Amino acid sequence: MDKNTEWEWEIKPEERWFHLNLKDLIQYKDLLFRFVRRDILISYQQTILGPIWVFLQPLLTTLVYFVIFTKIAKIPTGKIPAILFYLPGTIIWTYFSECLNGTMNTFFANAYIFRKVYFPRLITPLSIILFHSFRLCIQLVLFVLVYLFFMYSHHDVTPSWWILIVPFMILISAVFALGLGLIVSVITAKYRDLDNILQFVLRLFMFAAPVVYPLSIVPEKYKLLFWLNPLTSVIETSRAAFFAPHIVYPEYILLSVISVVVILFVGLTLFRKREIEVMDVI
Amino acid sequence: MSNIVIKAENISKNYRLGVLGSRTLKEDLRNWWTKKSFDDNQPEGSPYAYSKEYIWALKNINFEVAHGEVLGFIGRNGAGKSTLLKIISRITLPTTGHIVGKGRTASLLEVGTGFHGELTGRENIFLNGHILGMKKKEIEKKFDEIVDFSGIEQFLDTPVKRYSSGMYVRLAFAVAAHLDPEILIVDEVLAVGDAEFQRKCIGKMKEVSSQKGKTILFVSHNMQALRNLCHRAIVLNKGQIINEGNPETVITSYLKSETTQYLQQSFDDSLSAPGNEFIRIKKVELVPEYIGEYDIIDIRTPLTVNFEFWYNMEEEDGLIVGVHLFDFNGDCIFDIASPNTSFKKGLIAGQCKIPGNFLNDGAYYISIVFVKNITQRMYYYESCLSFDVEDYRPPNAGWYGKWLGYVRPDFPVVLQSKEI
Repeated sequence: MDKNTEWEWEIKPEERWFHLNLKDLIQYKDLLFRFVRRDILISYQQTILGPIWVFLQPLLTTLVYFVIFTKIAKIPTGKIPAILFYLPGTIIWTYFSECLNGTMNTFFANAYIFRKVYFPRLITPLSIILFHSFRLCIQLVLFVLVYLFFMYSHHDVTPSWWILIVPFMILISAVFALGLGLIVSVITAKYRDLDNILQFVLRLFMFAAPVVYPLSIVPEKYKLLFWLNPLTSVIETSRAAFFAPHIVYPEYILLSVISVVVILFVGLTLFRKREIEVMDVI
Repeated sequence: MSNIVIKAENISKNYRLGVLGSRTLKEDLRNWWTKKSFDDNQPEGSPYAYSKEYIWALKNINFEVAHGEVLGFIGRNGAGKSTLLKIISRITLPTTGHIVGKGRTASLLEVGTGFHGELTGRENIFLNGHILGMKKKEIEKKFDEIVDFSGIEQFLDTPVKRYSSGMYVRLAFAVAAHLDPEILIVDEVLAVGDAEFQRKCIGKMKEVSSQKGKTILFVSHNMQALRNLCHRAIVLNKGQIINEGNPETVITSYLKSETTQYLQQSFDDSLSAPGNEFIRIKKVELVPEYIGEYDIIDIRTPLTVNFEFWYNMEEEDGLIVGVHLFDFNGDCIFDIASPNTSFKKGLIAGQCKIPGNFLNDGAYYISIVFVKNITQRMYYYESCLSFDVEDYRPPNAGWYGKWLGYVRPDFPVVLQSKEI
């Protein structure tokens, strides 16, 4: 009898709960980087300006915000020059929303592959996050250039030591986007109506984070509500890092770390549990 | 037996009928509610076992696969073959049962999965290879071999959207052919490319299965390929295993059960039999002289058409009986006729022989025409017999693609060297 035989894999009607299967993921790490490479290669194929678009997108958005919110709505940006004020918020927000948008469409966008071959599905959302992180890095170079320019022309602009925490803050927004994206991808795969609602919610959500205004103009009684959004502390801390007298709130950073970890955990669990099953209903 | 590498127990799979994608929250809430109230009323058992909204694609499938075995799955479309391969490939989950196994598994349900049109051939080799589970080092090691096999070397740095469909398929198959898993799952991918490329693919399959002792599960409609490559075959019908064993026996009995042949028709009553006041059919039959140990008509089998009819025309009239053979596209393969002869009224018998090694494989039907005085059609007994001719290739034929032509006579083709 085969009682002593060591089976290496098993297929059952239900995936186990809380089973990340890290070994499987590591097996497919080459695929992860190949997906990132594919996305980078194809995103600027047959465009005239090519990779310059990476710079143009945040610059144009910032310009639009500058015209609408500073020139027309006259929202104060404190001592910080308006362009410089909007730029980090725009970059971080764009990063977050693109990561979220990409990951939440995992199943629809890749159904043609998922129907034909197995690999840990988590590879796909991870590759999307990495791809956008690559773009983010390029955009940060642009930001640093603009920042240096203002640092020498405006004496009010000085960095603080908090600058060292900025990569960590970006990681928080990536984890937030990934966790939320995983949850949403599983739910929208089943209920497509939600996709439309979510697009709308995401647009509103931008105004629930201090992307286009400083948190200081928010009335005191609503402030806590804003801090519950992990992106608030990401953006506010980044501003504090680059514009010295700004205050950093470590307790809110801790709060956002805890909340994004919980969201990621829920997302991973749900995704791993449902990743194969979902394909039957798409 | 410890050399079992896959063991499937009690695998079932049900699919929900209707438009799968258009599921809404409202519908689901309603389903949940009805299911709940249903459960309240029913004691035990699966809530959807009785529901008409679900269809069982697979029911209680059990099988084992030994190391190095080549196992073929046979069945008509919708029998559940592909669903089973999908479950083993972990693309979809079974509804019940479980499968255990050991060894690195790779599945080829399609060639070129994940190919991106904007990327070059070189990029796509890596992309597709990784998707199929190959590591970077593995692909780098086999890269030249893959390019060689595909024969598209000069287009390696051209985006694949500029490829012809033939080139595309060749590149895709080349990557797949260099997969090196312990268990390979293949679904009907042999049916691509031109004849020469198919020969190459089958050759590769044979090489892979025989020399390296690899375990292969595969689905194909190409019986010749199955016969030659498999060690064992399983027949699925409506989601259940109905036969399994030696491929030769299994395939033959499958073919016999699948064909809807009318090899014989006979009528006792000369008044109600098909025909008219001049001609009444008593009997038509097709008698094959089976070759080999199985009762199956293949391209080698000589066939005899026998017919008897009641004749009721004037003695001075001439009668011609013609036999028409059609393929199932309705193309007439031949139209042959008896000499013009006069008969007395009464029962007349006729015969027509179709030699072996004449018809190509395919489905055929026969019609019989009765003509008076060379020009007047008296009765046309349309498609009275129908039969299938199966393909036959000697073992190790090497190529199993569709043989061209309406007929397939074995006229000799002779070569001789002109060198002195």
